[in-house]
Amino acid sequence: MTAVVELRDATKAFRGVPAFENVDFALGRGEVHALLGENGAGKSTLTKVIAGVHTLTAGRLLVDGEETTFRNPSEALAKGIAMVYQENSLVPSMTVAQNIYLGGEKAFNRLRGIYIAAQQFLQSLNFHVDPSALVASLGAAQKQMVEIARAVHHKAKVIVFDEPTATLTPEEKRYFFNLIANLKAQGVSVIFISHALEEALEISDRITILRDGKLIASDLTENFDREKIIRAMVGRELTGEIYGQGRAATRTVRPRGRKVLSVENLSMGSIVRNTSFSIFSGQVTGIFGLVGSGRTETLKVVAGVLKRDFFHGGEVKFEGEPVRFRVPAPAVRNGIVYVTEERKAEGFFETMGIAENIYMGDLARVRGGGLKVISMSDAVDLAEQWRQKLNIRAIDPNAKVIELSGGNQQKVVIAKALVQKPKLVIFDEPTRGVDVGAIAEIHHFINDLADQGIAVVVISSYLPEVLAVSDRILVARQGKIVEEMEPKSATEEAIMYAAVH
Amino acid sequence: MNPAVEKPHDSDVATRRDKGFVITQELIVAVAAAVLFVLFSVALDNFLTPGNLVALVRNVAVLGLLSIGMAVVVIGRGVDLSLVAVMAVSLTVSIVLANKGYGFGEALVIGLGFVLVVALVLGFLVAYVEIPSIFATLAVASIVYGLGRGVIADLDVNNIPSDLDWFLFIGRGSVLGIPVSIWLFAFTALVLYLFLRRTGIGRFIYALGDNLETARITGIPVRPVIVLQYIISGLMAFLAGAVTAASVASMNMRIVNSTVIYDVLLVVVLGGIGLTGGRGGVRNVVVGTALIGLLLNAMTIMDISYTVQNLIKSAVLLLALIVDALLNPRDEQTAQQGDI
Repeated sequence: MTAVVELRDATKAFRGVPAFENVDFALGRGEVHALLGENGAGKSTLTKVIAGVHTLTAGRLLVDGEETTFRNPSEALAKGIAMVYQENSLVPSMTVAQNIYLGGEKAFNRLRGIYIAAQQFLQSLNFHVDPSALVASLGAAQKQMVEIARAVHHKAKVIVFDEPTATLTPEEKRYFFNLIANLKAQGVSVIFISHALEEALEISDRITILRDGKLIASDLTENFDREKIIRAMVGRELTGEIYGQGRAATRTVRPRGRKVLSVENLSMGSIVRNTSFSIFSGQVTGIFGLVGSGRTETLKVVAGVLKRDFFHGGEVKFEGEPVRFRVPAPAVRNGIVYVTEERKAEGFFETMGIAENIYMGDLARVRGGGLKVISMSDAVDLAEQWRQKLNIRAIDPNAKVIELSGGNQQKVVIAKALVQKPKLVIFDEPTRGVDVGAIAEIHHFINDLADQGIAVVVISSYLPEVLAVSDRILVARQGKIVEEMEPKSATEEAIMYAAVH
Repeated sequence: MNPAVEKPHDSDVATRRDKGFVITQELIVAVAAAVLFVLFSVALDNFLTPGNLVALVRNVAVLGLLSIGMAVVVIGRGVDLSLVAVMAVSLTVSIVLANKGYGFGEALVIGLGFVLVVALVLGFLVAYVEIPSIFATLAVASIVYGLGRGVIADLDVNNIPSDLDWFLFIGRGSVLGIPVSIWLFAFTALVLYLFLRRTGIGRFIYALGDNLETARITGIPVRPVIVLQYIISGLMAFLAGAVTAASVASMNMRIVNSTVIYDVLLVVVLGGIGLTGGRGGVRNVVVGTALIGLLLNAMTIMDISYTVQNLIKSAVLLLALIVDALLNPRDEQTAQQGDI
């Protein structure tokens, strides 16, 4: 087997600190190669070197057996290496078709022509996206499809996917896997980074695992199983701690406490439609739903982040009192906090350190908190307390939050919310983009909160997560909560059936 | 030993910043100001005379007061282009009323009331109607100036009635050999420094400049804080207006059509307060004011024409931005999107 792309003894360092070092990596023709590892293991940096975003500090990059250095991504693209980024790189103000053909336009670009071509092209990939729709109007999954379509269109012989399935619904995932199989049949090599181990086991030919910037294992997929991968990724046994098989059936389910929140006939635009449900204290309520099912929006209305319809918007009762929060501030003071799924966009303050981020939550907790004279030593004490409680790892306590890894960023966001002493905590996708070790810690922490008698809501589109943490499962579909299940009797199939039909 | 330090997380090792001496834009500007001061003292005959230094300091005080007002808004990711209009017209209101027979103290209070009304309207437009601050303040600046020229006063220049020595003292007097206007600037700078650094609201301004959506979800009362920013900038404009009026015993509304507002922006940006919000503080304003004040004064002594002065100021700004970009390049890692 000749390698299409090969790294030999490669090291990439940022300001002298290696993101990965002495890694040997080979990608064969028509091979699907899964790259696994915890956040910060160096996976993305490795693939970015291959895609020409970064250049190697030491070692060699070989493409088709020839030593190459890419100065920028377009040089890599010219050699047939395309990368689909985790956070997409589409032009939001252009249409789907324009994005796919971006950079390849003739001097006089005929839109009708490219719409027709894009329509046929997207059909051939089995992607149902309107080519004349603006990218800004698409959902996360559809954007991902456009991004993939663009890479395929460039006739790339190597395509790198950085967490391609994180935002896809299970149905879309199937399409995506079929697409990868098609690409493979055409002799295209695929590298894909994922946190979902089942996916890697299912579709890849070869698995490479990185830990702390070093190559730990690289072998054919047949020679791996879940436990082996996790052991290689984290260097310890973790499977039992998260999503263990049969875990949902064996653990004790917490009984319902007081009714903390009751939502009746809530409506907001066309996203949330007449939904009704209740949340109880002292237990974790898991809410599952596909993208577009209105689960995030419903809970955002509860927390005052979004506003429900003015007429016929329904009723929200918190601790028996009807409430209507127009902004999040009064909701926070009443004890409802929302931990966002969009960490970067609305989760933390990037110019501030860990301590100050957490302290902001504390200041905003009470009315008139702004009038307080602040003391940095209070902030540092508070941060230290939460750093230990949540095991936030940072060498430099003054590091800005944006410089931390995904898992640690998430913990800061959680700490900032929990410092507000909530009675109802809403976690929206609490483990998205978080490494395996941190997932276990965050789940553990969610359970602790429920044990303390706090009402906890966990929104997730990852079924094993819903089954592993919930004491009660609600399923959302088309803007409504449509079904309630017991974790003891619920199965992945049953939940998915309720969410789709 | 801290347990969190013992077990570093790999990516956090990679993103550790080298602590110690960091060359910031603020430092460059401070050094540049010091060098220029020495240079001008040696090279320009009239620079180091007491008369000139007092003039320098007086101009710096007005510029500094306006810049602090601007800085508070810029830190909250806004911009206030109405500062100069509010400064000129609010004092004109007071002076016109005083000339019509009101007591001057009373007239000043009414002028202050005018400032508050403008600030509340502005704050409402930006915070609740959600008009971008650059447009809202541009429009309000024109309206305020139009009111001043068309409704409030008949003339551009309005003189302060005689026998108001106590008021003129603000602009002309000195305490312990230092002009009152400088005391005023120093005092205001100190108060706002403490306000921004040490109070919850001060930190909220940074928070919402950093990320408005996060600030909202965290439960910070975002809208009242935005309104407060415009009230503070309005008060600064009024104070600057008072110092100006007191030093020349009149208020000339033509200043609205001059480049003062750009000088103010120059001070803020040059000092190192990014227009992206959430960064910088009063110290940056002080060094920026010192540099620009020095430059303006020296160029006036050297009898450089107004147009060439603008050219030099712009060149200095561009130079500062270039030096900053060279010394503090984009962080290769955090500027990249996605996981490491």
